[in-house]
Amino acid sequence: MKKIIAYIRRKLSVRVSLWVVFFAAVIFNVALGFLFYQARDAVYQEAVSRAMQILDKTSLRVEGILNRVEVASNMTKWLVQRHPDKPDSIFVYSRGMLANNPDFYNCSIAFEPYYFKDRGLYFSAYTKHVADTLRTIQGGSDHYQYFYSDWYLMPQLLERPCWTEPYMDLDVATNTSEMVTSYCQAIKNHEGKMIGVINVSLSISWLSQTISATKPYPHSYSIMIGRGGTYFVHPDTTKITRQTIFTQTMEQPDTALTALGHAMQRGEEGMKHMELNGVDCYVFYKPLGQTGCSMAIVCPESDIFGGFDRLRNSVRAIVFIGLLLMLYLFIRIITRELQPLRQLADEAETIASGQFDATLPDFRRVDEIGQLSHSFGNMQQSLVKYIEELKNTTAQKASIESDLRIASDIQMGMLPKQFPTKADRDDVVLYASLTPAKEVGGDLFDFYFRDEKLFFCIGDVSGKGVPASLFMAVTRSTFRTVSAHESMPDRIVTTMNRTIADMNKTHMFVTLFVGVLDLPTGRMYYCNAGHDAPLLVGAGVGVLTCDANIPVGFLPSWKYTLQEAHIFTGTTILLFTDGLTEAMDGANNQFQMERVNEVAARALTDQQQGPHELIGRMTEAVHEFVGDAEQSDDLTMMAIQYIRQQSDVRMRKSIVLPNDTKEVPRLNAFVSDICEDLGFDPNVAADVKVAVEEAVVNVMKYAYPPGKPGDVTIEAASNDIRVKFTIIDSGKPFDPTVQAPVDTTLSATERTIGGLGIHIMRQNMDSINYERMDNLNVLTLRKKIVKAEN
Amino acid sequence: MNVTIQEQDGNMVAILVGNLDTSVAAETEKAMSPLYNVEGKNIIIDCTGLAYISSAGLRIFLSILQITKEKGCHVYIKGINDNVRAVFTITGFSNIFEFV
Repeated sequence: MKKIIAYIRRKLSVRVSLWVVFFAAVIFNVALGFLFYQARDAVYQEAVSRAMQILDKTSLRVEGILNRVEVASNMTKWLVQRHPDKPDSIFVYSRGMLANNPDFYNCSIAFEPYYFKDRGLYFSAYTKHVADTLRTIQGGSDHYQYFYSDWYLMPQLLERPCWTEPYMDLDVATNTSEMVTSYCQAIKNHEGKMIGVINVSLSISWLSQTISATKPYPHSYSIMIGRGGTYFVHPDTTKITRQTIFTQTMEQPDTALTALGHAMQRGEEGMKHMELNGVDCYVFYKPLGQTGCSMAIVCPESDIFGGFDRLRNSVRAIVFIGLLLMLYLFIRIITRELQPLRQLADEAETIASGQFDATLPDFRRVDEIGQLSHSFGNMQQSLVKYIEELKNTTAQKASIESDLRIASDIQMGMLPKQFPTKADRDDVVLYASLTPAKEVGGDLFDFYFRDEKLFFCIGDVSGKGVPASLFMAVTRSTFRTVSAHESMPDRIVTTMNRTIADMNKTHMFVTLFVGVLDLPTGRMYYCNAGHDAPLLVGAGVGVLTCDANIPVGFLPSWKYTLQEAHIFTGTTILLFTDGLTEAMDGANNQFQMERVNEVAARALTDQQQGPHELIGRMTEAVHEFVGDAEQSDDLTMMAIQYIRQQSDVRMRKSIVLPNDTKEVPRLNAFVSDICEDLGFDPNVAADVKVAVEEAVVNVMKYAYPPGKPGDVTIEAASNDIRVKFTIIDSGKPFDPTVQAPVDTTLSATERTIGGLGIHIMRQNMDSINYERMDNLNVLTLRKKIVKAEN
Repeated sequence: MNVTIQEQDGNMVAILVGNLDTSVAAETEKAMSPLYNVEGKNIIIDCTGLAYISSAGLRIFLSILQITKEKGCHVYIKGINDNVRAVFTITGFSNIFEFV
């Protein structure tokens, strides 16, 4: 069953055909039904009319016969009454009756006892048809005392002529009996006294034949019942006189039959539709004159409507076959009409498999199929075009993605990758990690060493992706450029802010933390521009106090504040962006500062507060927290641990000179002596001498206003590792370390003399370090002791 | 610091002996000023006796070079010791002077 339904759903031709046939069937049914209904009615009316006609005709016939009987009886009675004393004539009359009326059964003219004294007690002139002749006899005898017969008594009792109930008439001579009904009337003499009875009988079977002669329908039959309902005419001869119409209702009550019986007894005429013995019939009934009998014609419905029903069934069969044929033909026709669709479908499959250029079949039709084919062709062309565009877009996208990867590499390349460890430096250990959320991000960190100071910064550009990464690149290069000339974080940030704000058309901004850690002393200057305050992990876990400056890039005129802190040996400064505190897990919970503190505290307890270990632990904790959720923001951390041990000072000397270059020889002698004392290699000592001279000469020339005398203090100190010369003056603030580097590759004509001194200082000394402290310029030059090889 | 200027084989030779530090820079320059007027001759600065030089001294050398080069003179440096050479190298002056 399911297969059939599936088949029907698949096939349009079948579905459409089924619908058409269905509606045709409905229409046929309605139309034919109506027609048949009306026709049936007509047939019915016709049948009724026909049956009634026959009934009427038969009734008339019977009544005619009955009439004849009555008339004949009257005539004979008149005759007898005219000649009441001629017994032989009675036989003639009796005979004459029959002779003139061949269809009468018998005739008896019977007289009262001993009316004809010479004939005895009984005198009945009885005539009957026997074969072709008539037999006339005297019918009364001791065996047949007719005085007590119904036919003799009834007219006397009723005092009028009447028809008897059917009874058996026994013919003694032939010993046959026949069911008859008699018309009997009293014969009266001229005094009005009854002298005898004329009885004319009709054979019931003859009557029955007459009644049954005309059959409206092949299986119809006639019945006749008497006053009491007794059957006198019935196709089943066993019922005649033995059963009444009500007999079978005694065993099985049948209201219809009972009603019919009563109606007929009452002398009604009409038609009843009922079931007789299981057969649907129409019963047409009518009383027979004055006999008290009633006759009915029973027409089986099948007779009446038999032909009609057969016709109807034939038509139905024809319609059914016709519809089936129609179904089949329609399926074929529609299938053929849809052939082009199948072709289109096949071509569509070809296109779908990738051959976009397949040629569609051309049907040259203008109907719906043609339009579909046309639209299909358009769609194919559009498809080809769009696929081309898509290819291009995809290629572009791939190209952009590849560019992004390269950009990511470039951006990562911009970040420092070499981090000084304990093996590299004895004063500071550093580690940092940056994980962008997309290929390129807006977080940045940077650090570099200049003149015994560690310059570092960490920042977070507002936003993500390419715009942020470009801004990040600008910020970083600005940091490098500005901090080459400025050593103070507040000035660095202020200048960066002005520069960046001036070119900031997109209204982005960057939070920034800039710090400068003086490596010899552990003093850190810093400036925070809206960034998260760093953690200090040392004696405990604490937050570095930061002023609330605004992020960089907003307001060109903002003045950033300078702060300072002392970093004790062993302390790690942990800098981070909000990608750490705002790292989200699947349920949108944030990592938060509490967890950062926790991890740091635990690391401290485990003595794992070194930068690499600390950041490692923090990264692990974040990954565990975030789980499978997508990284929402760049994650950046930088940790700086100050590990410089102050070693013992072995030697300290100093000299104070006025700001007059004439004093240079004294200075040089001072330096020479110290170097010699320390066992310096002479060539290295020479380098030191030149460097120190340049430094001091700078101060002598520029620190104080021209013509104004001032002092320059030169302090020398050394420990086991290095010697340091500290040049102190109280002149105007001057940081030699921020002067522009000298380009030593210029040609003779292009060279200038400026900046040579500082260049030499830097080149010859391990580090130069400038501080402005308490209105003093303090310039420190350091050199590792290189002993002479002996 | 001693400066001697003499002509040798068609060249102007300046012989320097001593330490050319900032304190003596001014007078040394004055002593070498005749070299500014040299035309059409080569200048040789003899540094065999030069023990020490600082940036002030370099400034003098550069001046001489720039001014006389315009006049078409070559400037040669003769016989510098290691320390002095180191200074020339560090400052890139070793690229702009010719050494003999």
